[in-house]
Amino acid sequence: MTSIWSQRLLDAVLFVFAAVLLVVLYSPLALSLVYSLIPVENGILDWAHPSVGPYLRMWDDPLIASAVRTTLLVGSVSVILAVILGVACALFVTSRLAVHTWLIEALVFMPFLLPPIVTGLSLLIYFDAVGIPRGTWTIICGHTLFVLAVIYKLVSDRLRALPRSLFEAAADLGGNGVQVFTIIVWPLIQPVVITAAILAFALSFDETLITAFLAGTNMTLPVRLWAMMRVGFSPSINALVTIVIMASAAIAVIVSARIRREQSEQ
Amino acid sequence: MSLRALRWTTFSALVGLLSLLILAPIGSFLVLSFASLKNGVIDHAFSVQNYVDIVSSPTYLGVIWQTIVLCAGVMATTMMLGYPVAYFIWRRSPRWRSFWLLLFSLPLLMSYIVKIYTMRSILGVNGPLNSLLVFLGILDSPTPIFLFNRLSIFVTMSVILLPFALFPIYMSLAQLPKNLIHAAADLGATHLTTFRFVILPLTLPGTLAGGLFTFILAFGDYITPEMVGGPNGFTVGRMIWSQFGLAFNWPFGAALGAVVLLLALTAIAAASLINQRGEPR
Repeated sequence: MTSIWSQRLLDAVLFVFAAVLLVVLYSPLALSLVYSLIPVENGILDWAHPSVGPYLRMWDDPLIASAVRTTLLVGSVSVILAVILGVACALFVTSRLAVHTWLIEALVFMPFLLPPIVTGLSLLIYFDAVGIPRGTWTIICGHTLFVLAVIYKLVSDRLRALPRSLFEAAADLGGNGVQVFTIIVWPLIQPVVITAAILAFALSFDETLITAFLAGTNMTLPVRLWAMMRVGFSPSINALVTIVIMASAAIAVIVSARIRREQSEQ
Repeated sequence: MSLRALRWTTFSALVGLLSLLILAPIGSFLVLSFASLKNGVIDHAFSVQNYVDIVSSPTYLGVIWQTIVLCAGVMATTMMLGYPVAYFIWRRSPRWRSFWLLLFSLPLLMSYIVKIYTMRSILGVNGPLNSLLVFLGILDSPTPIFLFNRLSIFVTMSVILLPFALFPIYMSLAQLPKNLIHAAADLGATHLTTFRFVILPLTLPGTLAGGLFTFILAFGDYITPEMVGGPNGFTVGRMIWSQFGLAFNWPFGAALGAVVLLLALTAIAAASLINQRGEPR
């Protein structure tokens, strides 16, 4: 009996511990919400006059609006490029053509595993050496390399779980490479490609440490927010931030639901 | 085209493209680290002066050492906070496990910059932490000691990086063969004994790997120290960032970057070695 009670006590203690950590981890969301709704007078929150006004004025700042546009553009383009490159690598590595898999994997995972500061400064120096000025394209390149590992990992895991006989049968029946891909492979990997693309987009949306090295005057939202942090956020920036955090949370819920469904189907 | 030709064409196309995008930038930054700055212009003549400057200067070595100590502290803290939580989640039923895992992974996708910003306001003089301590009577008046020093970098990094450590720890717990624990119980081991002699030794490698992951991330961070570190909270990352900004000495920044690269590769190698050795079964 004492053992059961000690186990229950342990669980209760661990529960309280986990709950306290959750409060700490979620405090950024809570605080942005508070700062976006409650006006601040001389550094003191005025709880008596909450207002949703900041949410309506969110787009008034042209710098913020253009930063959001750049972020969305960079996210979409780099995810599409990373999907093409990542799926190509995954297909090669899992096909019967595969050779020196370790080299491709080492290259693909490198920008994800190395500290972002190294990836950022190496791309900055490289682009400068070959004469490409900093701008939206240099950011897109950095983000493509950063999210490539995520796409590659999820897609190659899925491909490895598929029976090889499937592709061999298709080839035996006279399908050429393109037909085998469009008719057999793509429908089977499409769900995981979409999951990986959503996750990659979320990572790109928040990427700051590589981007800061590669951005010129045209900044993404996190880099713009960093520049604004020195003077402090206005309530309307806090409103934008609250919405961004909630959207990221929604993305995380979607991704985890999709991955779980995928795993239960396998 | 023969299979062999197709294999090598595809292989060289992929490796060529990836090398152009990944290896060439790393190569060009390493090359630049052997250049120097003369009268504001980059002189590409080969020189190891940057590295000599780093290892012969007590200031630079001091910053590197302090950054290692800071990040080791962050690593230890995230491991020690992450382990009990991972253990707690592991003891839930499968349904609740995914719920708790989701709760702890959501903060990973929350804006990194916003986390730093809110940590800065939490620790600030007018922040919630000071208000709470004054309200509880622990402090007489708000104090500025929580912000703009090494302590605030340490706290902020630990909060941001905790979820990164949690997942490898949880994975190593989830991989534990259940029959080992049953066997220990059958042989009469108490829960504490089972934990001490079975669970902990088998999950320590995964825990260390998770810790090393946070170490690398903390070591390369420059925005956290810049925003909450104040004038004394200098780290290697911040030193590098200033070489590409105000100080405008790219070759020296590249050499410092090479130091970070070396440390990160060592940490990655250590993590994979530990994981291979400690693989259960």
